[in-house]
Amino acid sequence: MHMADALLAPAVAATMYVASGTTAGISIHKLKKDDEPQKLPVMAVTAALVFAGQMINYTIPGTGSSGHMCGGMLLSALLGPQAGFLSMIVILAIQCLFFADGGLMALGANVWNMAFYGCFVGYYLIWRPIMQSKLFGADKKAQRGRIVLASILGCVITLQLGAFSVVLETTLSGITELPFGAFVALMQPIHLAIGLVEGLVTSAVLLFVFESRPELLQCVQPAEGEGAKRSLKAVIAVLAVVVLVVGGGLSLLASSNPDGLEWALFGNAEEGYAENMGLDEDDYGIESAAAEKAGAIQEATAFLPDYAFADSDAAAGTSVSGVVGSAMVAGVAVLICLAGGFFRKKKAEA
Amino acid sequence: MNKMEKALHELTEMDDLAARSSPVHALHPTAKLLSTIAYIIVTVSFDKYDLGGLFPMLLWPVLLFEISGIPLRTCFYKLRIVLPLVMAVGLFNPLYDRAPMLLLGGTAVSGGVVSMLTLMLKGVFCLMASFLLMATTPIDSLCAALRRLHVPGMLVTLLLLTYRYVGVMTEELAIMTDAYHLRAPGQKGIHVSAWGSFLGQLLLRSMDRAQELYGSMQLRGYHEHFHYAPIRAFRLPDGLYTLACGAAFLLLRFVNLGRLLGGLVVR
Amino acid sequence: MIEFQHVRFAYEKGREVIRDLSFRIARGEAVGLIGANGAGKSTVMKLALGLLSGEGRILIDGEELNRQTLASARRKLGFVLQNSDNQMFMPTVYEDMIFGPLNYMVSREEADRRVDEVLARLDLQALKHRHNHRISGGEKRMAAIATILAMEPEAILMDEPSSALDPCNRRLVINTIRGLEQTKLISSHDLDMILDTCSRVILLSEGRIAADGPAEEILRDRALLERNHLELPLRLAGG
Repeated sequence: MHMADALLAPAVAATMYVASGTTAGISIHKLKKDDEPQKLPVMAVTAALVFAGQMINYTIPGTGSSGHMCGGMLLSALLGPQAGFLSMIVILAIQCLFFADGGLMALGANVWNMAFYGCFVGYYLIWRPIMQSKLFGADKKAQRGRIVLASILGCVITLQLGAFSVVLETTLSGITELPFGAFVALMQPIHLAIGLVEGLVTSAVLLFVFESRPELLQCVQPAEGEGAKRSLKAVIAVLAVVVLVVGGGLSLLASSNPDGLEWALFGNAEEGYAENMGLDEDDYGIESAAAEKAGAIQEATAFLPDYAFADSDAAAGTSVSGVVGSAMVAGVAVLICLAGGFFRKKKAEA
Repeated sequence: MNKMEKALHELTEMDDLAARSSPVHALHPTAKLLSTIAYIIVTVSFDKYDLGGLFPMLLWPVLLFEISGIPLRTCFYKLRIVLPLVMAVGLFNPLYDRAPMLLLGGTAVSGGVVSMLTLMLKGVFCLMASFLLMATTPIDSLCAALRRLHVPGMLVTLLLLTYRYVGVMTEELAIMTDAYHLRAPGQKGIHVSAWGSFLGQLLLRSMDRAQELYGSMQLRGYHEHFHYAPIRAFRLPDGLYTLACGAAFLLLRFVNLGRLLGGLVVR
Repeated sequence: MIEFQHVRFAYEKGREVIRDLSFRIARGEAVGLIGANGAGKSTVMKLALGLLSGEGRILIDGEELNRQTLASARRKLGFVLQNSDNQMFMPTVYEDMIFGPLNYMVSREEADRRVDEVLARLDLQALKHRHNHRISGGEKRMAAIATILAMEPEAILMDEPSSALDPCNRRLVINTIRGLEQTKLISSHDLDMILDTCSRVILLSEGRIAADGPAEEILRDRALLERNHLELPLRLAGG
């Protein structure tokens, strides 16, 4: 869901920077007031962990597909919304600076789409109310249930909000000709599937933490009265069934493609491309890039015959000098490269 | 190599590039950061049909690539993430916008195709610019530049610390992934029975690590403020470079260099 | 320099890790802290540094360790962690070395001078501007020692300084430790290294002192060592 620079108009990007920057400012203020100096190293190490953890492939049972974790919900459940938000900013910044995932100018928008919703909406509207409620009862078993519910709901809802923001920002930037409604109809369902898988992975990780060190989780009181002890394995088995029924079903329906979340690319040649918006979750791999290219070629060849052969008109006339000029610019660029190579060679010989 | 090892490799590659020396590397990080941001803003501000006007913007990154001696190849490898995404959005344009825009050798090119190409070029150019910034500026210098630009200290410190531990964590997960797959041949990913414990184990260990790290910081007198290594002062040439870049971008933005050059040749 | 008086400590209520521990390390002494896994070696180190606090009195340079004296006590102590990655949190070796001195309000010129001096002494000038995540394990350990020396502590505490090093780097670290004139407290399972670097040994067992005396004496006592799940140093076992 990382937006690229090219997808945003400067005005939209600036607005998002202001929004994210303000939230960051408030978060920093809050953290400074809390005065917990030991939090900084915890944030750094957890952020680094989530960064690396996003690269893990989780096999979705019964589908041969795999899913990933994004981390906003996980971070706010572990660190609280403010610290989680700052950690997400840093993760997104590193991805954009060192891995070209996202963009410098789009960072504000990416922080908003992925960190703000995941951390603040996910925490204040979902995680905290659910964890503090008496849902499912008061024993440890009920707490596990609440963790699972909050993780899944949190991931699904915040991802939906994020996907909707992507559509909104792109449309406002006037980048795509795709009508708003169609774009939304493409983006939301695929992110429902992604959110579900992410929610399940997040809940599995949080349950593990809950079993061994419950004090690490926000808003979790160490068990009031031990309920019937259900093993982690059993919980995960239950999860697996849920996944099979809901997430797996969705993914299965879509494709037999090894990387489930990329189904849209091949599954639906006519309208599949926008769904790539979801696919960058998994873009450290090469296979997907190759797949993209194949798809692009196929698409291009399909489009070309549609174009009308028009008579020459004024627009065409003026464009000739532009084309020739552009060719000259390209020539200059090549010359620069050659010159650079020449001087370096000379230097090496000297 | 698994995914994490590839990521590590990319990180070290950027490190190595940034550690080289060239006139571009020698510029003040603030100057480089500002000019890069200016370049990106100007690039994306071109009209969606202004392919000819946008194209000459290519000259700036190409020139810098050559002066700095950073191989273009490494940059294009990173395109695999940005380009599909931009294309995903751009590829709809030819479908919806079919009005002919210009004629090329008897073939009419529709507005949608022009806007798609413009979008793709924007994507490539922006990537080249930010890649250049990171390939010529070590992370610590960049953080110092951010501090100068009044980015809050807590965020900069967090960035620095996280960057340091991204390497450590990615390496640990790379080892864990290898260890997992050695005992689970034929599995593509982590099996559902280990979903929680795989990352969870590392998470718990990381909490202890963070504790130890905090101890180590305390023992060396950390209170709230982080002290950074000094970077050299912002000198006149840095200022001139920033201004020159800014002026050049504005010029390219408002004067269509392509048409100007073409006009000299074609009547 | 470091004195424990009837110190007790428990991570969890009811399970004491340190039980009534008393010892005194004089200025300039080099003491090895040995014992089986879980005997309490690391805990002793953390108590001395004020990272943990238990019952009883701990005196650093004659001053009782408490909230008021913590800063001044820590200024006198340097701690080399077992995992250098946890110690070196800045991007480059230089920045890591300068971190401590600057926090203790040393001027930048003075801090720079110290860094160069320490690097020259340990023959590590080549590492100065290298990135912490790009240097080898051996280099990392030496750099970690350098970051502590740049703070000019009066006593140095080390946790397993020779672990996971190749023989050459291990020798280098041992020689470096021998060259340090500060008070030293070194915890390790590498008894050969302890024999090389320490004149006195404290043997811990289940949070108590099982033996305290000259290194040559304790490290030769096969029965005592084996009772405490340790073995004779290789160098002595061979003969």
